[in-house]
Amino acid sequence: MRFVQEFRDAELGRALAHDIRALVEPGRTYKLMEVCGGHTHTIYRYGIDGLLPDEVELVHGPGCPVCVLPMGRVDDGIAIAHKPGVIFTCFGDMLRVPGSRGSLLEAKAEGADVRMVYSPLDALAVARANPERQVVFFAIGFETTAPSTALTLRRAKAERVENFSCMCNHVTIVPPLRALLDSPTLDIDGFIGPGHVASVVGVRPFQFIPAEHGKPFVAAGFEPLDVLQSIQMIVAQLVGGRCELENQYARVVAWDGNPRALDVMAEVFDTRERFEWRGLGFIPRSALKLSEAYAELDAERRFRTPGARVADPEACQCGEVLTGTIRPWECKVFGTACTPERPIGTCMVSPEGACAAYYAYGRYARERGVTV
Amino acid sequence: MTAEHCQTCGDVAARMLVLAVDEAEALALCQDEEGRRLSVDTGVVGSVLPGDTLLVHAGAALIKEPVA
Repeated sequence: MRFVQEFRDAELGRALAHDIRALVEPGRTYKLMEVCGGHTHTIYRYGIDGLLPDEVELVHGPGCPVCVLPMGRVDDGIAIAHKPGVIFTCFGDMLRVPGSRGSLLEAKAEGADVRMVYSPLDALAVARANPERQVVFFAIGFETTAPSTALTLRRAKAERVENFSCMCNHVTIVPPLRALLDSPTLDIDGFIGPGHVASVVGVRPFQFIPAEHGKPFVAAGFEPLDVLQSIQMIVAQLVGGRCELENQYARVVAWDGNPRALDVMAEVFDTRERFEWRGLGFIPRSALKLSEAYAELDAERRFRTPGARVADPEACQCGEVLTGTIRPWECKVFGTACTPERPIGTCMVSPEGACAAYYAYGRYARERGVTV
Repeated sequence: MTAEHCQTCGDVAARMLVLAVDEAEALALCQDEEGRRLSVDTGVVGSVLPGDTLLVHAGAALIKEPVA
């Protein structure tokens, strides 16, 4: 398909890797954080880390919304799912995310009517088909996913689908990046930016990273050549003593994003005063809730969720992985007590989670002695 | 969209070809490169036509791809 296969060309990939090797200064390290879990997946799936010189180290950031969801929110969702007459809908990756007393999949096994959907529109269709039941959509994701939820809620309101509601867990990317950058222990030289979030919000909101923190930021696409070229662009900035905001993914990302998407999000959502992120704690103004105009579709109000707050399991080091303090294989339960089949931490649940991606792909390279 | 990807992360944004358009409902019937079809909300990309290519995430089109 156009814009896909040409960005997976192995020969061009090797040429880009060669360029990066030629750029790096011996003895200097370049520690780059890929913000989005999608990049983590691409890096491991295509072996990009194995193509890079030892001087370039990739660190996995907090850009997997499933991974940063605290257990209390899962518990709240399960509490709604167990209510009589409720059909609880969510994306497939949410089903296995552990709460304090099990997952949504286990709730389904216990009798709750939990259904996987591919989109909020599918959840709305379930509501239309079951007017005698309450249908709840568990919304999760960054600004990439939020427009889809917002459009569906607008549609539900216009059609007066009164048995439909939404438990909103949407988060925004800039506040956690600010929190990371404000951390005195952060040791990152540049950022591979989330290209699809940027397709919605634009590149401009990330200007503070080079301007206030002196770190290069490159909005990046998700094909292997996109990621390699973004790394090349960041390394070139660092070697050249530059610190800029750049857009590698210009074929998709406009400087100011998608104004229509931003408009519908502004209509449907308000910003929460604060929201808890797994591993990062409470971050001010980092998540979305339904606006007053859409309050009647807010599942948290309709079902009076308990607002559970649950500490992560002691063995779990997801927080340190998400902040780049340790690498996935350095977690004390990685690949032993915590596996994709039986995850303890959320980083092992989602395929884009750093631990799951590394478990699926990276560990083999490491076992072969390839630098990761 | 695919089993190996996380729906909530941006990388599942899939390129889909528009087959038919319901302009009044802001919906388009789209098909991905493997032939799977999906009804897509086009509310944030404006007018689309059969033959257009959309970047679709979680059932909503985010971007209408430019003509090469």
